[in-house]
Amino acid sequence: MTRQPVTELTIDLSVNGTAHEVIADVRTTLADMLRESLALTGTHTGCEHGVCGSCTVLVDGQPVRSCLVLGVQVGGRTVETIEGLANDGVMNALQQGFYERQSFQCGFCTPGFLMTVTALLADNRRPSRDEIREAISGNLCRCTGYQSIVDGVLRAVEMLDEQGRP
Amino acid sequence: MVQRLVGARVRRAEDPRLLTGAGRFMSDVTLPGMLHAAFVRSTVAHALIVGIDVEPAIAAPGVVAVFTGADLRARQAMPMNVSGAPGFRPVDVDLLAVEKVRFVGDPIAIVLATSRALAEDAAEAVTVDLDPLPAVTSATDAIAPGAPAIFDGVEDNVIFEEHLRYGDADAAFDAADRVVRASMRQHRVAHVPMECRGGVATFDARRGELTYHAAHQAPHMMRMAIAGICGLPANRVRIVCGDIGGSFGQKGALGREDVVLALVSIALARPCKWVEDRMENLQAAGQAREESLELEAAVTNDGRILGLRGRLLLDQGAYPGFGVPSSMFVMLVRLLLPGPYSIAHYDFDATAAVTNKASYLAYRGPWEMETFSRERLLDLIADDLGISTLDVRRANLLTAGDQPTALVTGPDLEGVTARETFERAIEAGGYDEFRARQADALVNGRYLGIGFSTYLEPAPGPPNWGDYIGFKAPPERAHVRVEPDGTVTVATSQNPHGQGHETTLAQLVADELGVPFERVRVVFGDTSVTPFSTFGTGGSRAATVASGAVIGASGLVRDQICAVAAQMLEANVDDIVIEDGMVGVRGVPARNMPLAQLAMMSYMAPDAVVPAGQAPGFEATFDYVSGRGGWVNATHCAQVEVDIATGLVTILRFLVVEDCGEIINPGIVAGQIRGGVAQGIGEVLLEHSAYDDDGNNLASTFMDYLIPTSMDIPDIEIVHLESPPVDAVNFRGVGEGGAVGAPAALVNAIADALRPVGARITESYLPPSRVLELAGVLNTKVDPSQGVPR
Repeated sequence: MTRQPVTELTIDLSVNGTAHEVIADVRTTLADMLRESLALTGTHTGCEHGVCGSCTVLVDGQPVRSCLVLGVQVGGRTVETIEGLANDGVMNALQQGFYERQSFQCGFCTPGFLMTVTALLADNRRPSRDEIREAISGNLCRCTGYQSIVDGVLRAVEMLDEQGRP
Repeated sequence: MVQRLVGARVRRAEDPRLLTGAGRFMSDVTLPGMLHAAFVRSTVAHALIVGIDVEPAIAAPGVVAVFTGADLRARQAMPMNVSGAPGFRPVDVDLLAVEKVRFVGDPIAIVLATSRALAEDAAEAVTVDLDPLPAVTSATDAIAPGAPAIFDGVEDNVIFEEHLRYGDADAAFDAADRVVRASMRQHRVAHVPMECRGGVATFDARRGELTYHAAHQAPHMMRMAIAGICGLPANRVRIVCGDIGGSFGQKGALGREDVVLALVSIALARPCKWVEDRMENLQAAGQAREESLELEAAVTNDGRILGLRGRLLLDQGAYPGFGVPSSMFVMLVRLLLPGPYSIAHYDFDATAAVTNKASYLAYRGPWEMETFSRERLLDLIADDLGISTLDVRRANLLTAGDQPTALVTGPDLEGVTARETFERAIEAGGYDEFRARQADALVNGRYLGIGFSTYLEPAPGPPNWGDYIGFKAPPERAHVRVEPDGTVTVATSQNPHGQGHETTLAQLVADELGVPFERVRVVFGDTSVTPFSTFGTGGSRAATVASGAVIGASGLVRDQICAVAAQMLEANVDDIVIEDGMVGVRGVPARNMPLAQLAMMSYMAPDAVVPAGQAPGFEATFDYVSGRGGWVNATHCAQVEVDIATGLVTILRFLVVEDCGEIINPGIVAGQIRGGVAQGIGEVLLEHSAYDDDGNNLASTFMDYLIPTSMDIPDIEIVHLESPPVDAVNFRGVGEGGAVGAPAALVNAIADALRPVGARITESYLPPSRVLELAGVLNTKVDPSQGVPR
């Protein structure tokens, strides 16, 4: 008797603090699963081969390229996406920093940068210019030349200081 | 007094949605019953199509339909041929290749299935029987006798040529102390917007209406073309663009894929979605900037240029870009090659050749070859004469006292401050100090270099610009309406994709109408609500033309408001003031009333409040024709260190001194400049759409096609000069200049660094391997026109 290949799996995961049960095609990437099954279209796919970083999300707090992770691999895990950053419609300090410094132009790569920098600031709350440049070097932006993004991160760091956040 | 918003660093209206993941890009559109498309593309550069077997694909899971080029020919009302450009030879373009494929990536068939994955699976099941022909992979090869013809009717592969004479170059060359010659070569690159192309076409059979959710710079042009090719009346075709993830010219051309999607959606009466993947984008979405330019300058011993001759050869790839054919790039290079320099005698000859590569499309400053070539030539002239490049540049740069004048090619020159930007760049760049440091470094075996480039950017160009580019831009239209609740809606034919027009145009309207910025909404992208425009956004025009249009329309609306207010408040119309959304009488604050109240009355009870002869409500349309001046100019200064052990170039400083007139929003202007410079740096150090001798694309993933990261681009310094206005609207465009000036300045700096080792650089692609060859460290055989070993 031949075994039929498994084409779908049901997984449980937490996305932006909400528990979900998803029936996932086993070959669907996490990026497509977020965008299509959960309608979280803020995660963008810019290259679908793991280079550009536009699709970066956090899995258990770590930045991953959701185009290189299968949806079924995140069963039981915690996923954070761009949609989870604002609190009741109020942008968080990082989003505010980018807003004040006009960090982005077309906005397509933006969610990936936000998630990468979210992970950076969790590790290093007061990064230097050089540390920021290094941390975002795996995210491609074609519009800005990156300077305004670095400025935006530094502004966010200032705002966290102003708010007395650890 | 309410503070003016124009000139202030107003936060972008776009950003709250883009920073929270709430943008709506083309790939985010999902419609009921939607099918997903995948294209079958050629893996061979040049071949006859012997047969296409689609049966295995039709039988594959989830597949609803497969169409070939022959299927679509029968459904087209007219061909997608580029015509109209004088001297440009028309060729037949199939939406999907029928008899022949002409480059790697040429679309052959489209598969529609219930998911993108199933469509891609099925596309792989289509068998295409190809009989290969010799591939033509360079413009030089293309125009050689006996080269294989790529299109019927263009047997010599020459799709456009021109020969122009200005003044008497022969006499200038006879009178010269010396002639300096150089063969400039620029390599092929790609636009690489972070969002690839695509869209969702949906056809409502009952209403006979096609809607295309697209990502495009010029929705009205797209609508006209799709309506024509699909055989629908224009009033049954609607283009809707949301947020667009960058373009840089790529999405200014109509893609064959766009039209295919529309046609199959009509055929199936179902929504059809196509989202291009990155490999398709790098192979087939279009490329740019592949030219050679043979230059000869007649010069005096003190560096004055008496005459110039140029012979351009442009590699346009296979299919002409739809919208802007390659003849336009040739003309722009010709018109602008003399640049902001006094050159009185000039010969120009050009050939645009077809090859088996992707289409050459407009890319951020599509005339940039002229700046690269001229600015490199100026340094070579200085080298040959043994004098400073500063002296050569000063001997030829136009000054304020020379103006108004005209380029030798015809366009008027006025308000050009190129000389001022150059002098400021020398000063701000610390030229003398750098030269001292450079000399010290050389003693220690370190190679430092400094390079300049000064250029003109038609943004939007002078009043007679249209006489020279073959068509005159129609007036730019905008519509401004105060809604009954006092909010303001601005409809523009600009179609922003990162430029921040929702912010800058709202700043202008808020100032003109005296309403808070937050109450102004700029709508764009939907052809059912925006004014017609052949251009949309492109050509660095918006800062002038869209500004002029919204200021004009706002002024008319303001007059309407003041007339109603004068009647209601029983005051002289000249005494009416509008500030912060309140309308009142100057000096009588107690009589202020909200604009919303006036607006509501004007719409709901016009008989009571609107003066005779004025229409109810507050709205106006204005058509703006741009005025005198129209040029932006800048000088870039690059300072580098070249490590001749590794070939790596470190950019020590990059300075831009520009004059774009009055600035609407400094953050947006700086962002445009820095982004353009980053693309220019990438072009020189990293990027190359390389092909091998068989026409295979060697750079079709981000592992091979390298765009700059945050580690490659330095902080870019910007100095803003603001010349006295020569026109009432003194905002000028900065969309393209960064990318125009940067390659020349950077290559000049690298050439300066390598001068001590005897390198004479006349090419634009300088990755470490090439730097090492030029420095004499590596000795491999490289054809610089290809940039890859052969």
